[in-house]
Amino acid sequence: MNALARRAAGLLLSTVCLPFSALAADPQPTHEFTLDNGLKVVVREDHRAPVVVSQVWYKVGSSYETPGQTGLSHALEHMMFKGSDKIGPGEASLILRDLGAEENAFTSDDFTAYYQVLARDRLGVAFELEADRMASLRLPPEEFSREIEVIKEERRMRTDDKPMSKAFERFKAMAYPASGYHTPTIGWMADLDRMTVGELRHWYESWYAPNNATLVVVGDVTPDEVKTLAQRYFGPIARRDVPAAKIPLELAEPGERKITLHVRTQLPSVMLAFNVPSIATATDKASVNALRLISALLDGGYSGRIPTQLERGEELVSGGSSNYDAFTRGDTLFTLSATPNTQKNKTLAQAEAGLWRLLEALKTTAPTAEELERVRAQVIAGLVYERDSITSQATAIGQLETVGLSWKLMDTELAELQSVTPQDIQKAAQLYFTRPRLSVAHVLPEEKAQ
Amino acid sequence: MSERKSSRPALIGLALVASVAALAFYLSPTNSSNASQALDQAKSGNKLQSLAELDDKAPSRRQLDVQTWKTADGAKVLFVEARELPMFDLRLTFAAGSSQDGDAPGLALLTNAMLNEGVAGKDVSAIAQGFEGLGANFGNGAYRDMAVASLRSLSATEKREPALKLFAEVVGKPTFPADSFARIKNQMLAGFEYQKQNPGKLAGLELMKRLYGDHPYAHSSDGTEKSIPPITLAQAKAFHAKAYAAGNAVIALVGDLSRAEAEAIASQVSAALPKGPALAKTPPPVEPKASISHIEFPSKQTNLMLAQLGIDRDDPDYAAVSLGNQILGGGGFGTRLMTEVREKRGLTYGVYSGFTAMQARGPFMINLQTRAEMSEGTLKLVQDVFADYLKNGPTQKELDDAKRELAGSFPLSTASNADIVGQLGAMGFYDLPLSYLEDFMRQSQELTVEQVKAALNKHLSTDKMVIVTAGPTVPQKPLPAPTDKPAEQPLGVPEH
Repeated sequence: MNALARRAAGLLLSTVCLPFSALAADPQPTHEFTLDNGLKVVVREDHRAPVVVSQVWYKVGSSYETPGQTGLSHALEHMMFKGSDKIGPGEASLILRDLGAEENAFTSDDFTAYYQVLARDRLGVAFELEADRMASLRLPPEEFSREIEVIKEERRMRTDDKPMSKAFERFKAMAYPASGYHTPTIGWMADLDRMTVGELRHWYESWYAPNNATLVVVGDVTPDEVKTLAQRYFGPIARRDVPAAKIPLELAEPGERKITLHVRTQLPSVMLAFNVPSIATATDKASVNALRLISALLDGGYSGRIPTQLERGEELVSGGSSNYDAFTRGDTLFTLSATPNTQKNKTLAQAEAGLWRLLEALKTTAPTAEELERVRAQVIAGLVYERDSITSQATAIGQLETVGLSWKLMDTELAELQSVTPQDIQKAAQLYFTRPRLSVAHVLPEEKAQ
Repeated sequence: MSERKSSRPALIGLALVASVAALAFYLSPTNSSNASQALDQAKSGNKLQSLAELDDKAPSRRQLDVQTWKTADGAKVLFVEARELPMFDLRLTFAAGSSQDGDAPGLALLTNAMLNEGVAGKDVSAIAQGFEGLGANFGNGAYRDMAVASLRSLSATEKREPALKLFAEVVGKPTFPADSFARIKNQMLAGFEYQKQNPGKLAGLELMKRLYGDHPYAHSSDGTEKSIPPITLAQAKAFHAKAYAAGNAVIALVGDLSRAEAEAIASQVSAALPKGPALAKTPPPVEPKASISHIEFPSKQTNLMLAQLGIDRDDPDYAAVSLGNQILGGGGFGTRLMTEVREKRGLTYGVYSGFTAMQARGPFMINLQTRAEMSEGTLKLVQDVFADYLKNGPTQKELDDAKRELAGSFPLSTASNADIVGQLGAMGFYDLPLSYLEDFMRQSQELTVEQVKAALNKHLSTDKMVIVTAGPTVPQKPLPAPTDKPAEQPLGVPEH
C-alpha cells in the first residue's frame, strides 16, 4: 500500500454525515486563487507545527499516453530531477536534503506530482526549485540514457519480480479495453527500450504549463505569504496552450473477460473487476456514492463483510479485499480479490463463489441501517484523523483538483453520501455487478503452468 | 525499529493482494549527482535567490511539554496535551516481543494477535463492530523487543469512553477463544507460503539466524511453519498474564485531553491489565563468525544483505553512529554507497545502510538489489566502500552537511500527533530522558569527524560481516568503470 492508496481509502472513509459538531465547529481555513498565468493555488492553514508541505500537481499521467509511448509521464518525472536552468542534475535534491526537507514525486494514471515537506522558513526554496523545472527543464540526453536504465531496473524490481504486481498489471490491461487506463504507469518494457529524449521533451512542452498545474500548500503559513512567494517564483512563467485532454471513457458493458496467469507464487488468488463510472463521470451520483459505501461495507474494517463472513465465518479465504477507485478522471473499476484458505483446503473456485455470494446478497437484500451507521461512523472519524497529517491533507486536495473535481468536495460530499439509502445500495449492486461488466483473473502458481 | 506494523501481522502476503488492487503509484527515490557541494555552489553562485535569503539558523519545532508519571499499578506514562484536533492517540508498549518467545517462536505475535479476538460477552466481530461503530481505530503488533496495542479515537466523551472501555478489556482481559486461535494460526501459516515468493524476506530470515545464533533475536517474530502449530492456548494465556502486566507496560498518550483526563485514562487502562512486574531485559548476543551464504532463487535481481551486530538503544555512541551511518548510506541519496553504487555505476535502484538500535545490540545492515550478473562485483564494491569509510571516516564537509540536514529535518519528526505518540512510546520503552530529543540534537551537532570515525570503528569492523545473497546463479560480468562525468554512458542495456 502507499500514501495515495491510503489516501483513497481515507477519502472513502472520510465521507458521510453532517451533524458532527467537532467538524462543523472548526473547519480548516482553506484558500484558493489563480495566478495570471493560470496556475491554481490552494492553501490550507495548519498551524500546529512550524512545517509546511508544497505539492505541484500536473494534469498528465499514463492514461494520457498512446500505444508505443507508454511510460513517458513516469520517465519525465525521473528526468525532472536532472537539472533545469538554475541547477545541475541532481542538485535540487541535494539542496533540499541539506535543508532537511523530504521530497519526492509520484506518477499515476491521471497525474504527475512533486512534493517537498520542510521547515516553514524554507518554503521559498521549494517554490524556486519547482518553478525552475516547470519553466526550463534541461533534459540532457546523456542523463536520459542513464536514467532510462534505472527506470527499467525499477520495472524489473517492482513489477517483473513481484508476482502479484505483474498479475495485476496484466489484469488491468484487460479490464480497460477502450481507455488509457489499460496502460501501466511504468510503461511496457518494449516501449522503455525505444523511448527517446525527444519524446520526453515533447511531452514536457505539451503538458508542463502553469495553466495545467495545481500548487497545493498545507502547513504553518498564511495565504498572503504563499501568494507573494507563488507570484514571485511561478508568476513569471508564461501560460501555454495545452492539448485537449480527453476524459478516459470506457465501454459500459464490454463483455465478460477472463485471464489465467501463472506467476511465481505459492498461493493462488482470484481478482474480479467491474467496469463502473467514477464520481467525475457518473451522471447518476447516487449510484457511485452507493458503490463507495459498498466497498466500505465489504472491506471497510475488521467488521466488514469480507473479513467477517469469508475470512472468519466460513474460513473460505485467508485474505480478501474490495476497492473502488472513485476519484479518477475517467470511468473506473470496482475490484475484489481473494486468496483461498489453503490450510482449510479451500479452492480458487470456492473463494470466487464466496465473493459472488457477497455481491448477490447486496443485490437481494438491502443492508440494515445499523450496518450503514457503522460505516458512517468510520467515515466521520476518518475525516478528523486525516487532519493529523499535512501531507494527506495536501494529497487529498491535489488529487481532487487534478481529476477534475474540486477540493471543496471534501466538505460538500458529506451531504450527498448521507443521503444514500439502503435501497440505493441494492440498486447499485444490481446495476453494476453483472457479467457483461466483469473481468476475472485466476492467478496460479507456476508449477501448474503446463 | 525494523519491525513491521500491522493489525493483522500474520497476513504479509495477503496485504499485498489488497494493495495491488489499489491505485498504481510510482515513487521515485530521487537522484543526485555525486557532488556534495550543491548547496554551497548554489549559494555562492547566487543563482537561487531563496537560498541567499535564508538565514543559517536552525528552524524551530513544535514545542512538546512531555509529562510523565507512574500509575498505581506500575505502568509508566508519557503524555503530551494537543488540543488542536478533537482526537487522541493511546499507545501501550509492552516488553512482550518475540525476544520473550522462549522455546516457542511466534508465541508473542500469536498472543498479541489474540487480543481483539474475544472479551467477555463479545466475539471478534462484536469487538470490531464496537470500535468501528465509534469510529475508533484499534491497532496491534508484535516485534522483537516489544508488543504494541494502540487506540485512536475521537475525544468527544460519548465516543471516547466506550472506546476506552472496550480497549481496556481487549488489552487486559482477552478470553482467547479456541476457534480464533486455530484460525489465526492458519493465517500465519498462509503467510509463510507468501514469504516463499519473496527472496528479500528469505534472505533477511537467513541473515538474522546467522547473525544471532542462539540469541532470541535470531528468529523472526512470525515464528516458523514448524513452531506455530504446536503452540497451545495455555501458553498464550500464560504469556499474556506475564508479559501484558502493568509493570511491563509503557503508556503513551497524545491528544485533546487534560492532564486529569489523561491520568484517569492511564489509571483505567493499567488497572485492567494483569498485575505484575517488568520482565527481565534481553541478554546481550554473542559476536557471530563472519560468513557468506547464498539462497538460490529464480528472480531477475539478486538481493544482497550485509550485517553485523550494531548497538543497543542505551549506547552513548548512538548519536555518533547514527550520524556516521547517515553519511555512509542512511540518507537515501547523496550518501557514499548511493553515489558509488547507483550514481557512478548504475548498479542498483537504491542501497541503504542502517543501525537498528534495540534493547540488546540490534543489527547494523546494508541492503540492496542488483542485477544478477553483476552481483559479485557489486558485493565487492559495497565492501570496499564500507572499508574505506571505516578507514578514513567522513570528511568535515560531509559531517557539516549531515548536521545541517538533521537540524533542518528535526521539525518534521514531531509534526503530527502520530509522530509524537511514536516518539513517546520509544522514549518510555527504552527509558530515555524526557529531554531525549533535545539531547540527541545537541550531541549530534557537537560531534567531530574524529569522534564519528572512532565510534564507527568501535562498533563495526570489516572482518565481522555476515553476508547473505538471494538470487539466480548466472555467469558474472565485470562492473562498469565509475564515471563522474554524466557524459560518459556507464552501462549497456542489461540482459535478463
